[in-house]
Amino acid sequence: MSVNAPRSVTELQAIVRDNERVHVVGNGSKTALHNAHDGAASAELSGMTGIIEYQPSEYTVTLRAGTPVRDLAAALSQQGQYLPCDPLMGASATIGGTVACNLAGSRRYRYGGVRDFILGAEVVDGLGRAFRVGGKVVKNAAGFDLSKFLVGSLGRYAIMTELTFKVFPDAPSFRSLRLDYGPLEEALRAVYFINQSAFELDALDLIPGARGWSLLARLAGYDETLPQRVERFSSAMARETAPLDIEELADSGSLWNPLADLAGGCLVKVALSPKQIPAFEAALAGARRRYSVGGNVAWVATDEVDALDAALQKLALTGLCLRGAVKSAVIGEPIDNVLAQRVKQVLDPYNKFM
Amino acid sequence: MNRAFFAALESIYPPQRLLTRDVELLPYESDALTAFSAKPGAVVLPVNEAEIVDTVRLCHDHAVPFVARGSGTSLSGGSLPIPEGLTIGLNRLNRIKKLDPQQRIAVVEPGVINLSISEAAQPYGLYYAPDPSSQSICTIGGNIAFNSGGAHCLKYGMTSNHVLGMKVVLADGTVTKFGSESVEGVGIGPDLIGLFVGSEGLFGIALEITVRLMPQPEVYRTVLAAYDDLGRAGDAVSMVVASGLLPGAMEIMDRLAIEAAEASVKAGYPDAEALLIVELEGESIQVNTEFERLQGIIQQSGAFELRVAESEAERTRIWKGRKGAFSAVGRLSPDYIVQDGVVPRSRLGEALLAINALKVKYGLEVANVFHAGDGNLHPLILYDGRAVGALEKAEALAGEILALCINLGGSITGEHGVGMEKRDYLPAMFSEEEIDIMQALRRSIDPREIANRGKMFPGGEAPALKLQGLHPLEKAGVISRE
Amino acid sequence: MATAIEKCVHCGFCLAACPTYSLLGEEMDSPRGRIYLMKNVLEDKLAAEDAQPYIDRCLGCMACVPACPSGVEYGDLLVSYRALQEAERRRPPLDAMARNLVISTLPYPKRFRLAAQAGKLGKALSGALPLPFASMLNLLPDQLPASRPMPPVLPAQGERRGVVALLPGCVQQALAPEINFAAAQVLAANGVEVHNPPDAGCCGSILLHVGAEQQAQEIARRNFIAIPADIDAIITTAAGCGSGIKDYELLFKGQPDAERAIAFSRKVMDFSAYLSTVGMRAPAGFASERRVVYQDACHLLHAQSLHSEPRNLLNQIPNLRLLPIADAGQCCGSAGTYNIDQPALAAELGRRKVESILAVQPDLVVSGNIGCIAQLRQQLQSQPKPPPVMHIAELLWKAYTGSD
Ligand SMILES: Cc1cc2nc3c(=O)[nH]c(=O)nc-3n(C[C@H](O)[C@H](O)[C@H](O)COP(=O)(O)OP(=O)(O)OC[C@H]3O[C@@H](n4cnc5c(N)ncnc54)[C@H](O)[C@@H]3O)c2cc1C
Ligand code: SF4
Ligand code: SF4
Repeated sequence: MSVNAPRSVTELQAIVRDNERVHVVGNGSKTALHNAHDGAASAELSGMTGIIEYQPSEYTVTLRAGTPVRDLAAALSQQGQYLPCDPLMGASATIGGTVACNLAGSRRYRYGGVRDFILGAEVVDGLGRAFRVGGKVVKNAAGFDLSKFLVGSLGRYAIMTELTFKVFPDAPSFRSLRLDYGPLEEALRAVYFINQSAFELDALDLIPGARGWSLLARLAGYDETLPQRVERFSSAMARETAPLDIEELADSGSLWNPLADLAGGCLVKVALSPKQIPAFEAALAGARRRYSVGGNVAWVATDEVDALDAALQKLALTGLCLRGAVKSAVIGEPIDNVLAQRVKQVLDPYNKFM
Repeated sequence: MNRAFFAALESIYPPQRLLTRDVELLPYESDALTAFSAKPGAVVLPVNEAEIVDTVRLCHDHAVPFVARGSGTSLSGGSLPIPEGLTIGLNRLNRIKKLDPQQRIAVVEPGVINLSISEAAQPYGLYYAPDPSSQSICTIGGNIAFNSGGAHCLKYGMTSNHVLGMKVVLADGTVTKFGSESVEGVGIGPDLIGLFVGSEGLFGIALEITVRLMPQPEVYRTVLAAYDDLGRAGDAVSMVVASGLLPGAMEIMDRLAIEAAEASVKAGYPDAEALLIVELEGESIQVNTEFERLQGIIQQSGAFELRVAESEAERTRIWKGRKGAFSAVGRLSPDYIVQDGVVPRSRLGEALLAINALKVKYGLEVANVFHAGDGNLHPLILYDGRAVGALEKAEALAGEILALCINLGGSITGEHGVGMEKRDYLPAMFSEEEIDIMQALRRSIDPREIANRGKMFPGGEAPALKLQGLHPLEKAGVISRE
Repeated sequence: MATAIEKCVHCGFCLAACPTYSLLGEEMDSPRGRIYLMKNVLEDKLAAEDAQPYIDRCLGCMACVPACPSGVEYGDLLVSYRALQEAERRRPPLDAMARNLVISTLPYPKRFRLAAQAGKLGKALSGALPLPFASMLNLLPDQLPASRPMPPVLPAQGERRGVVALLPGCVQQALAPEINFAAAQVLAANGVEVHNPPDAGCCGSILLHVGAEQQAQEIARRNFIAIPADIDAIITTAAGCGSGIKDYELLFKGQPDAERAIAFSRKVMDFSAYLSTVGMRAPAGFASERRVVYQDACHLLHAQSLHSEPRNLLNQIPNLRLLPIADAGQCCGSAGTYNIDQPALAAELGRRKVESILAVQPDLVVSGNIGCIAQLRQQLQSQPKPPPVMHIAELLWKAYTGSD
């Protein structure tokens, strides 16, 4: 397997044209995605980094796909802004990898995921063509929106070289709470209560504990109003959902990193709806896990991928393995779709990206 | 359309739902862009999914072009019939199949009216967020085709951001499903929802749509600021953005639009060159603090009058004027073209100055209504179809506005889509290669190019661009228009 | 007419408000579609007969008018269009006979009474009439109620706060004299002097609607003379008269007495609107709670924008609970032509209305228009315990007298 680190789009186009199989690596942080690609030329985008255009007053930023997520976050926060889909900040995660795998952190809860903030992209497809999809302004309804299609595309259709996102002003302060419940059903009932209330949480995760289930909730806003809001939220929760305990926690980045406690083993992302959690729990048999985004994303760390695969298949759910030795990154219900196949025929007819 | 095709249609539809007589077809000739009209070969009104699928398959087998139609409110000719093609009216598929307030989702048929979802969700404290001005009548199917949005899409996005799952029949008759009930939507694998939404009916027909619902904000705080200069209103928007506030909506109307809205709903708008509407929404405690800041900003921005909606009724009135502004312009002028372009927000001022210059150049009036928060302009070009050459002049002006948007780094459409109206402007925005790729994509999904044939891509004859002259009755001296 | 057509920008906003569109789900049966059809007929691109069924299906409920941001005067358009077509329309002989009967009897209460009692006026007659007049005929009982003569002037009680003339109306006078009786009493109780000019009568709009313009003018002129000029308002208790008189401007266009007609029409006010303006003196109310549904008459709600006025009046009655219903603004299908020409549609609209009324379990239902009252009574008939339906004036009078 040859490793290439193109420095420009032209170089990347050449690599695609000259090889039968090409495999893109952002920074190689999602190891599971790279297992199945022996024999392909790999293109590392770590040489294609940097913010190209950032206009805080436009709420838009354009950057090269190999840019580490951390660099982006740092540049945005200098202007009091952030990317609300909350890309997961592994040590070396790149923005291109974030889009390809559709990875968002807990704060995605507030305003939406990667698909909701991507505006456009520059890509190189399987025929080595370089072109632009989507737009650069916050609103655009012209042409087919292939930029959203790239979200979750796992590098199988085209290689992103440049990406444009919508960004928002970030809140100055945060407060975090833990609410403890007994059985899962009670914690879920609390989630449903929040879903129908007007409380605007910045993030909401559901975590299993020794005695039962807990909700982690975060509020964002002004320093001067947060105490009052926290108070209102806690008393409403106490009144309506009868938690065993409510405790305010020190707000920190690691508290809101859904993967913080999931080191080791195979790491799998599953998109599901809160009402599927009980069945999923029953099938999981105690793997380490955290339900993020109000119970809409499950993060699972397990050593028994085959068992998880079987469980997912039973529930018609799909999992994406991000770390660990697996045959295929996608487990559970297959994601083949006729519409995706049609796009594949156009963008990568020779299966260069597999 | 040949005999065999008709016979097959007759086996799917009873006569009352298969329209073929002139009198039945005429009212389907145009959508809300009346500059274009074309008589369809037939109109069918399916009442269930199976009928739609059968119809699409039939069209594919006979290579008969079709266009789906929701409520026919497209402003770009999206639901304009294809001459001798089939129009598939979806307005009868208007059931909300499921509403799950706990998970905040609804599953709907394509003909469901946008606002009906919010009405159904209202008892649970939820609503469907995308709010095109036409929300009281436009359908979700149409919204999907154009990725429609409205004044309140700054924060939570357009249609695409609110669709979690869908079932569609592709133009070749293949039925497929993607997405889920999770807020992640597709979640793993390419985001097919993002691809389908905004495809202007060229990929096929949406049969069933899962949308996400949002909790109704605890409070809205709406201000109306009046300026004696349009540029100053634009600057105020930049000031709000710079302050780090994220309003739910920021809208600007200029004098002419104000006059029209005033005539239409008597919103009690102040007499001004420009009005800025800013609305904050959210938890009361947070919003109250934000609101103080906002008021400070607006005061500094040189507004000569500032009104705060003190009740829900006042808020409704402010919005009613804004939302009815397009059609209200019908009171000021016999004919008009609604334009829809996007510029980077920071270049709004420049764009407005340039539009002013164009007004003078063409000697036509232009009313401006826009979603200032995301730089989405809606210039309304007023003209009098009775005057010879007026329509052409108005179209030329409209074209220059689009060119302007592209030059400023924006887009030729923010929400109304390319449709028939702007297909010839697509090359100004995309390279030949990019358009080729889109064409190839279209053909790989619809090899016979039957779905909404003639739209979005440049080329081909435009059906009957109407050159309106004197009304026949006017010529005869029977009537006159004041 | 052309202005109305030209003003229509084809935006479709009116579709959501239109009962026939919601029932039939086709563009031809929507306001936008009808306007387009009329346009094509006027431009000679479509035969009038082809368009006729769709125009005939229009309820004339005017729900599309307030829904239209462009200000299309659909009502004017429809009236003018129908008048134009009427002139050219060849009617089947039976229809023509019925129409003549209408012209010669309905506007004249005495003749009408005679005709009705002689059994000449079958309910079928209403087939020749447009809404909302025809619907009144549905009230035609086997035996007409005794007429309720009123003194020429009913004095104001207490401080005099206004002087009005009560328009007797035509058919309603014969069919439901209790309505005007109650209205007069309520007004008097509120310090309003009520004149019942003996020579006043039909407003003529019924004739205008069937296309008998000249007779309509004549009949209207009688009222100009019969009703004193120095009064504050001319009160109607029938929605159709109120909105019909607004057409006087059209009817008298170019006539020497056009100004007179306009002045007259400007004075006309619906009963509940007028009472709201003078302000109601608190009635005694009811001993126990009354759950009441107010049914909006299209010609009050849409044609005269009366929404809060009647509701505010009802809300002032002690022990009365006003219940909101779903789709309150939707036409009840108010009978008449509709029941006969479009039985299925009218019945479906009626069914929907009854469903939303019964859902809130009212003790009684009130409306400001005899046509709606007739339709609701008929539609409720088949219910096990139908709530009584009455005119708002009647309920108010009960509230004053404390009678049940
Ligand atoms: C006064 C006025 C104000 C407006 N304001 C706004 C606004 O603020 N924001 C905005 O975004 N738009 C606005 N619009 C434009 C229009 O309302 C939207 O484009 C709307 O989404 C169209 O919906 P419809 O049901 O009328 O669709 P139609 O006009 O019937 O169809 C539109 C397109 O959708 C396709 N289509 C319909 N159903 C389906 C389906 N099930 N599957 C696939 N394709 C389908 C049709 O083929 C067609 O191409 C406005 C229009 C008017 C007249
Ligand atoms: S709402 Fe008014 S302008 Fe729009 S289609 Fe209906 S009648 Fe025409
Ligand atoms: S008057 Fe009523 S029935 Fe007739 S078009 Fe208007 S809304 Fe529809």
